[in-house]
Amino acid sequence: MKIPIEFVVNGEPQALFVKPNHTLLDVLRDDLGLLGAKKGCGEGKCGTCTVIMDGKPVNSCLILAPRADGSDIITVEGLADGEPHPMQKAFVEQGAVQCGFCTPGMIMTACALLDEKSDPSEEEIRLALSGNLCRCTGYAKIVEAVQVCAQRIQQDKGA
Amino acid sequence: MSQNSEEKRQVKTLERERLDLGRLVKVGEAGLRIVGDSVRRTDDVLKATGKLKYAADYPQEGFLHGKILRSPYPHALIRSIDVSKARELPGVVCALTGGDVPGRNGFGAILPDQPVICQDKVRYIGDGVALVAAESERIAQKALELIRVEYEELPAVFDPRDALAEGAPKIHETGNQISLDKLRKGDVEAGFAQADVILERTYQVPFLEHAYMEPDCCWAIPQPDGTMMVEGPMQAPFAVRRNVAPVLGVPINMVRARQIHMGGGFGGKEDSPIDLCCRAAVLAKHTGRPVRISLEREEVTLQTCKRHPMIMELKVGVTKDGKLTAFKSTVYDEQGAYASLGPKIPPAGGSHVHAMVMSPGPYEIENCWVDAYLCYTNHPYGGAMRGFGAPQVHIAHEQMMDELAAELGMDPVDIRRKNAFKLGSKTATSQVLDQSVGLRETLDACEERFGWSQRSDSAGWVDAAKTKRRGVGVAMGWYRTSIGTGGDACGANVHVHEDGSVILYSGITEMGQGAFTVLPQICAEALGVELEDVRLVKPDTDLVPESGPTVGSRSTTLMGNAIILACRQVRESLDQKAAEMLGVEPERLVFCGRKVFDRDNPDGKALEFRQVAAAAMASGMRLIGQGWWAPPKASLDPETGQGSPYFVYTYSTHMAEVEVDVQTGEVTVTDYVAAFDVGKAINPKALEGQIEGGVAMGLGYALMEKVVLENGMPQNMSLQNYLIPTMLDMPDLKPLVLEQTNQHGPYGAKGIGEMPNIPATPAVINAVANACGGRVRSLPANPEAVFWAIRELGGPPQD
Ligand code: FES
Ligand code: FES
Repeated sequence: MKIPIEFVVNGEPQALFVKPNHTLLDVLRDDLGLLGAKKGCGEGKCGTCTVIMDGKPVNSCLILAPRADGSDIITVEGLADGEPHPMQKAFVEQGAVQCGFCTPGMIMTACALLDEKSDPSEEEIRLALSGNLCRCTGYAKIVEAVQVCAQRIQQDKGA
Repeated sequence: MSQNSEEKRQVKTLERERLDLGRLVKVGEAGLRIVGDSVRRTDDVLKATGKLKYAADYPQEGFLHGKILRSPYPHALIRSIDVSKARELPGVVCALTGGDVPGRNGFGAILPDQPVICQDKVRYIGDGVALVAAESERIAQKALELIRVEYEELPAVFDPRDALAEGAPKIHETGNQISLDKLRKGDVEAGFAQADVILERTYQVPFLEHAYMEPDCCWAIPQPDGTMMVEGPMQAPFAVRRNVAPVLGVPINMVRARQIHMGGGFGGKEDSPIDLCCRAAVLAKHTGRPVRISLEREEVTLQTCKRHPMIMELKVGVTKDGKLTAFKSTVYDEQGAYASLGPKIPPAGGSHVHAMVMSPGPYEIENCWVDAYLCYTNHPYGGAMRGFGAPQVHIAHEQMMDELAAELGMDPVDIRRKNAFKLGSKTATSQVLDQSVGLRETLDACEERFGWSQRSDSAGWVDAAKTKRRGVGVAMGWYRTSIGTGGDACGANVHVHEDGSVILYSGITEMGQGAFTVLPQICAEALGVELEDVRLVKPDTDLVPESGPTVGSRSTTLMGNAIILACRQVRESLDQKAAEMLGVEPERLVFCGRKVFDRDNPDGKALEFRQVAAAAMASGMRLIGQGWWAPPKASLDPETGQGSPYFVYTYSTHMAEVEVDVQTGEVTVTDYVAAFDVGKAINPKALEGQIEGGVAMGLGYALMEKVVLENGMPQNMSLQNYLIPTMLDMPDLKPLVLEQTNQHGPYGAKGIGEMPNIPATPAVINAVANACGGRVRSLPANPEAVFWAIRELGGPPQD
């Protein structure tokens, strides 16, 4: 049995038939071919599958596909607008990327944080991103990347 | 913040040591442009935009899905196995048992002792007893449930000491003891006679999971010409090929292994792709179709290798002024069910011998005695994990140093300074350290940056309510560059084209550590072109020369040298041509930034690199270079463990500050400084990344990580209960990089990938002991263990 859902992904309306036991992550990867969100654990513990759903970062591996009906989803593919998003640039410049498997999820959580709070403290960054695991970087450069990005966005606004 | 982060990291070049060892590259060659610069890592934009493809992102159309039926018993005989029902299930293409393996039914990184499909017995929970290939993963999974296996359980062994006991159940025909390796230097009893204080302590470490974020996934695709192509995230494509060929019963040249970008490896993806590629290849051979095996997170924990657990019994003697006189240790190194990377590859390869060599620490000790047992048990198996046996033994000797210091009433820094290696020191294997020994400098730098003396004076209660205590800890470490095997060597090909563009062929793999950036940096520097002129061909055993595995912190050094040699061959043609064109002697030529000019007349006429390349090509000159580099010969006497096993070492000192909640046993790491002697920082930013990541992993080892096993069954198979450090667990980390040049390394570099992981664990454990008085000798120091360590003392110190 398949269930019809309609939702918006990266600004594009989508109408699909999904299996009720499939997750949002399955739908993004298998049905829509958006491979940026990764499956590190499949049970909500690593954050590599993070996407932004109605403005909030979510573990897409935990969301059953039918629940995405009517929602607005942004994935890592939807950030770049011709050129990379400032957060993506900051991650690259600060050396916050090693194997890169955690990176898309990390970036989505970080973007959602800055959307909510443009000037977070280091503690707030650490807390917001603590559900995204990274085994490679030790997180130092990720924190810096988020700080640099926040600063730049502030400056651009000021200018 | 970013500004103070630039400030907090420092790279300092120490005075060059002058010893002429026929070095390959002149140290401090004028005008390094690309080496030493934190150039952007090549794939990062693709990764940050989600465009880089990992194995799971490759199209799966036309693929069959392979699944493995695993043993539920840690040790059992297989009485019968019936796959007929599974074969009948629609969508199942084949279901195989042990007899169906076309060639050798065994694989392994060193010894082929692990069955591709177990035929008569199983040795751990996770051993594969049948393989299925089906049109979908779901069908394959269903098919597994239809396979009937009759087992006869055998008594199992879970402790290496039990495994060695007489009459212990035999896990392999060859016996449970894989080896007893010995190290004998001086006269250890005489050493104890000179000691004023002798301590005996036992330290213990558990199995650890690599917890790379990307679960394993490999596949095999039969090619029209009969070749089998295997692909996946892998650290050692040549080792994969070396295993798949005999398993299929074909020569090595009929197997092609290609690396897909890895989502983390840390040593673990040296073994697991051998396992998955062999199994996928057998299924592909039977079905004639591409077969893919992808593991779920739990399956990764069940099936793949881990960090070796060890029990280490130490006895160490010291004079009252802190000079070490004798070191004695018995090490029980638990291999688990299969040999993996544990056993010796003469003279000094394999994780076990490495652990033995490193076990007395980076200290001058006249008299050393080590007995190191490596043995099978019915647990999952130990493989390579960031440090390859070294983290375990450092946890022992670095705790012992602190325990000795406490006994003597000495500062932990002073006792280390008293004994630490310096240029000319003799190691426990009697190797004379003839170059690049910056250990003491790392201690000095760390002490100053951390503010050790003030900080250690202010250790004690944090709050008036007396709930938390603060403490500081120090640990030192050393780690080899290269792997100590007879065959350790590396090849590279460099092709220069008439338009000045370059292709570099290297078999070193990328797992996030930055090899695909650092190696082209070296190539560009050696040819005098820009980084963007060099395109790297990704590891593919059909295209690149044998490079060995990407392990042992060997890539930059060995491959770097091979690349430099390959570039030199090409430079011979270019030098000759450019000399003709400029009318100067070839010795006076400088190749730099795509220009070629006369050293003595830098403002005079300059040629474009591509002009010279085109002219050389038009005169039929060779523009293809092949470099091959092997480190100086390794040696280690099999009876006494004496010799020069690894040609150069990286050194490091770490200092940590922690706060311990004395009521809950909870530990927070509040500050951290780590100093390294790396020879030469080729790409300082990538290097810092290695440091930060390595320290995080070491902190997890100290405080939270352990694969909990009950009757051979892992109890914490997911990331929900196997905890690794999160962003909240990491302190503000200040890396210090010192450069004490290594004459064998490219531009003086030494390996760095593993070093940061090693002293981090004991530095944190020592800080915990300093804070609360309780010492956790069996890791991890999780809240429960710390709580009991404090209780054992009868409560925290009151001062
Ligand atoms: S895959 Fe969704 S949290 Fe790990
Ligand atoms: S970069 Fe590898 S897991 Fe984060």
